[in-house]
Amino acid sequence: MRRKIPLSKRGSLRKRGSLALLVAAALAVLPLLGVPRTWLLYLFFFFVYLAAANMWNLLAGYSGLLALCPAAFIGLAAYTMTILTWLHVPFYVGIVAGGAAAALFAAVISVAVFRMSGIYFAIGTLVLPEILRLVFLRWRPVGGGLSGGGAGYMVKGVSKLSSADSYWLALAVCCVSVIVLAIILRSKFGLGLAAIRDNANSAASSGINVFGLKLYSFIIAAFVMGMAGAVSYTREGYIEPLSGFSINWLMIVLLSVVIGGIGIEIGPLVGTAIFVILRFRLARSGDVSLLIQGIILVVIMLVAPQGIVGLIRDLHRRGITGLIRDLRRRVEGGLGQRPSPILRVAGLRSGPPPVSAVSTPDSLSDSHAPKEEQTWEK
Amino acid sequence: MQTPVDRTDPGALRGLGESCTTPAEVLLRVSNIDVYYGSLQVLCDVSLEVRSGEIVAIAGANGAGKSTLLKTISGLMHPAIGSIEFAGRDVTRLNAYDIVSQGISQVPEGRRLFPEMTVLQNLMIGSYNRSARPRREQNLARVYELFPILKERRNQVAKTLSGGQQQMVAIGRGLMADPKLIIIDEMSLGLSPLIVTELFRVLHEIQARGVTVLLVEQNVWQTLHEADRAYVLETGRMVLSGNAIDLRQEEQVRNAYFGA
Amino acid sequence: MEGLAGLASPIAIGLLLGGLYVVIALGLSLVFGVVKVINVAHGDIVVLGSYFAWVLLTNLGVDPMLTVLVGAPVFFGLGILVERFLLHRAIKKSADAALIVAFGLSLIIQNAIQWKWTPYSRQLGTSYMLESFAIGGLRIPLVYVLDFAAALVVMVVMHQFLKRTYLGQAITAASQDRQTAELMGINPARVYAIAFGIAMALAAIAGVFLGMTFPFTPTFGPSVLIIAFGVVILGGLGNMVGTFLGGMIFGLSQTLGGHFLGPTGQQLVPFAMVLVVLTIRPQGLFGR
Repeated sequence: MRRKIPLSKRGSLRKRGSLALLVAAALAVLPLLGVPRTWLLYLFFFFVYLAAANMWNLLAGYSGLLALCPAAFIGLAAYTMTILTWLHVPFYVGIVAGGAAAALFAAVISVAVFRMSGIYFAIGTLVLPEILRLVFLRWRPVGGGLSGGGAGYMVKGVSKLSSADSYWLALAVCCVSVIVLAIILRSKFGLGLAAIRDNANSAASSGINVFGLKLYSFIIAAFVMGMAGAVSYTREGYIEPLSGFSINWLMIVLLSVVIGGIGIEIGPLVGTAIFVILRFRLARSGDVSLLIQGIILVVIMLVAPQGIVGLIRDLHRRGITGLIRDLRRRVEGGLGQRPSPILRVAGLRSGPPPVSAVSTPDSLSDSHAPKEEQTWEK
Repeated sequence: MQTPVDRTDPGALRGLGESCTTPAEVLLRVSNIDVYYGSLQVLCDVSLEVRSGEIVAIAGANGAGKSTLLKTISGLMHPAIGSIEFAGRDVTRLNAYDIVSQGISQVPEGRRLFPEMTVLQNLMIGSYNRSARPRREQNLARVYELFPILKERRNQVAKTLSGGQQQMVAIGRGLMADPKLIIIDEMSLGLSPLIVTELFRVLHEIQARGVTVLLVEQNVWQTLHEADRAYVLETGRMVLSGNAIDLRQEEQVRNAYFGA
Repeated sequence: MEGLAGLASPIAIGLLLGGLYVVIALGLSLVFGVVKVINVAHGDIVVLGSYFAWVLLTNLGVDPMLTVLVGAPVFFGLGILVERFLLHRAIKKSADAALIVAFGLSLIIQNAIQWKWTPYSRQLGTSYMLESFAIGGLRIPLVYVLDFAAALVVMVVMHQFLKRTYLGQAITAASQDRQTAELMGINPARVYAIAFGIAMALAAIAGVFLGMTFPFTPTFGPSVLIIAFGVVILGGLGNMVGTFLGGMIFGLSQTLGGHFLGPTGQQLVPFAMVLVVLTIRPQGLFGR
C-alpha cells in the first residue's frame, strides 16, 4: 500500500499528521497529570468505542459492507484473550492474539457470508454473534465444568491493572485504528474502495478486485475491532457469552458512526464523543437511556443521515439557506426532476432515489450506490 | 357526467360533459418541456401534439431521449420546465398512477409483464384504475377478440410466454385500462417482422375503435408506413415532424435511417 | 429400537410448532417481498403483540384468542403510520438507512416494553392452555395444535386476499415491478404502507400465539426475528407454500436437533441449516 498523494496535499497531510501526533501525546500524558479517575474512565470507553467505530465505518461507510456482527469479532477476541490468560499467556499478548482470532474468523466466515448479496449479508452477519453466544454457552475449553456458575471466565492477570494502565491500552488500540484507517484511505486500497462505493460494476470492469478489497477490509476491521474488544474486557475483568456477544456492541458502533457521519473519516470521532457523553449522562435513567438512544438513531437517520459532521460540512458549503432548502425537500420527500444546485463529487451524490435492497448476486451491500430498480435505460 | 361514447368514432372524447368534437381535436399537447435526469438534461424544449384518433410515431436513435419523453408523458418523470396537457387538463405534475385514470395508458419497453402472474392476472391488473373497473369484462372480451391466443393461454404464467405473446399481453393490459391514448414503447423490439406486421394490424383495429396511439419505434421504415404522423427526436430535441408520408421522402430521414 | 417410535413425538411437535413459525415469518416475508426491506424490528413487533395480549388478559381478562381480533386491526393501523412517516422516508434515502431505522425502532420497542412492563418473563396463561390430546400414544399440547391451525387459517386468508382482491393483486404487482405497477394506476407508496400494515397485523397475531406457546421477555424480539429469517431463508421468498415448508423444516430441525443432540442441538441445528441454505441456495429451497 504505497502512498499516492499529490504534492499539493502533502503539506496539509503533514500538518494533519503532526496535529494528530500532538493530540495523541497530550492524551498519553494525561494520567500523569493527576486528572480525576472518572475522566480516565470516560476516555477509556471513548477510545475503545472509537476504535471499534472507526473500523465499522471502514466496513459500512467505505466498503459497502453493512456488517451487523461487530459483537462476533469483539466477543471472540475477548474470549481468546481470556482463555489464553488461563493458559498462562500474558494478557497483552492475548489482546493481539484475540485480534488475530477475530481476523481468522472473519476470513473463514467470509466464505459463507460474502456469497450473500445486500440484505442477506446484513442478516447473515446479524446471526453470527448469536451463534457464537450459543457456542460459548456450552463450550468450556479450559477450566472446570459448570458448577452452578455462568458460562463466563475471569480474565486472569488483570486485577492489578491501574486506571492509567487501562487508559494507555485503550489509547494505544485507538491510535492503531486511526492510523490503520488513515493509511488505508490514502492508499491505492482506499482509492479502490472509493471506486467501488461509487459504482461497483464499473469498478470491477476497471480491473479492481472488488471481492478482494472487501475481504481485506473485513479482515482488517475484525482484527482491530477484536483488539478493542479484548482491551475492553481487561478492564471488565470477567467475560460471559451474554456480554461478549451482546447486540449492545452493534448499537454502540452504529450510534457512534451514524451520529457523527457514516462514510466520513472523522465522523466516528465526533459521534463516539457525543455517544459516550450521552451514555454516561443517561446512565442514571436506566431503561430510558436505551430508549432515547433508539430514538436518536431513528431521528438522525431520517433528518440528517449524513451525521453531524456531514451536516456541518453541508452548512459550511451551502450556507443555512441551502441547508434549509435541502431539509425541506427531504422532509417533503419529493423527487423533483429539477437540476440539483450543486454538482456533487465522489462521496455524495444526487440523482434518482436508491430503492432496492436486493442487489445482484455478485455485488455486496452497496449502501451508497443509488440504483433505480429496474430502470428502462436506453 | 358520463356522456355515452360512440367508440367507433375516432374523434369522440369520453364523458366529462364534453360533446363530440371534430376529428382533429388535440388530445395530448406537450409544450416546450425540459427534462432532467438528476443534473443531466435529457430533453430540451420538446413539443409535440397528438390528435384524437391518430397513430403518431416518435423515431430517433438510441439515447435520443425517446424513453424519457414517454416516461414524462406517463408521469413517471416530471419536466423541470414546460407543460403537458391531456384532454384539456394540465397533467404536468400528476403522478403516473393518477394519470392512468385520466385516460393515458403506457405499454412499457420490454413488455414489463408481471413475471410471476398469469396472462389473465396481468390483464386484470391492467384495469386496476377506478375508471376502468366498471368496463372490465367488456374490455377483457375485446382483448380476447384482438388476441385470441391470449384467451387460450390465460392461465399461463407470463414469464413463460414467447416475446410476441408477451407483447400481446402487454398491449392487452394497456387496453384494459380503458384508455383514450395508448402509448407503446418499442413494440417491435426483438420480434420477427411477421409478428410486428400483425401487431401493427391490431393497432389499426384499436385505432378504429377510437383509441389514439402514440408509438416509439426503432423500426422506422415500417412505422412510417403505418403511422399517420411522426416526430424525430435527436439528442433531446425535436428535429423533424410531419405527416408520415412526407417524412418518408425527407432527405434527412432517408439518409439517417434508410441509407438511401 | 427406541429410535423410530421415539421420533414420532419430536416430528409431530416439530411440525405443529412449525405452524407458529410460519405465522411469525409471514409478516416478515410480506414486507421483504413487497417493500424489499428487511424489517429488523419484526421480532420486536411480534413480542409487542404478545405484551398487548398480555395486558388485555391481565387487566380485562380478555382471552388471547379474542385479542387477535382486536390486536390485528390496531397493529394494522400502527403499521400504516410507521411506514408512511418513518420507513418510507428512510427507504427513499437508501436500503441501509431503512435497515438502520428499523434497528432503531427495534431498540425503541424493546426498551419501551422493558420500561413499562419490567424485564420479567411473562406468558399468556389460560385454562385451556394446559390441555393436551392423546393421539396414538403421543401427548400433544393443545397450544401447538392451535398454533398450527392459526397458520392454516392465516395462510388461507392471505392467499385469497392476494389472489382475489384488487388490492392484493396490486401488492403482488408492486412487489414484482414497482414502476410498471405505477403505470397500472397503483400508488406504490399506498401499497407499501398497506403491505406493512398487514405485516404488522400478522405480527400481532403471531405474538398472541407465541405468547401462548412460550414465555416471553422484552428482549425476546431478536430471537424471534432470527426464527422468522430462518424460515424465510429456508423456504424462499415469494410463495406462501415455500414459507409454510420453511416453517415446517425449521420446527423439525429444532425438535429433531434437540432429540439427537440435546438442548445445544435444539438451538444450533436450525441456525446451521439456515447458514447452509444461505450459502448454497440463497433464494431458498423453494424460492424462485
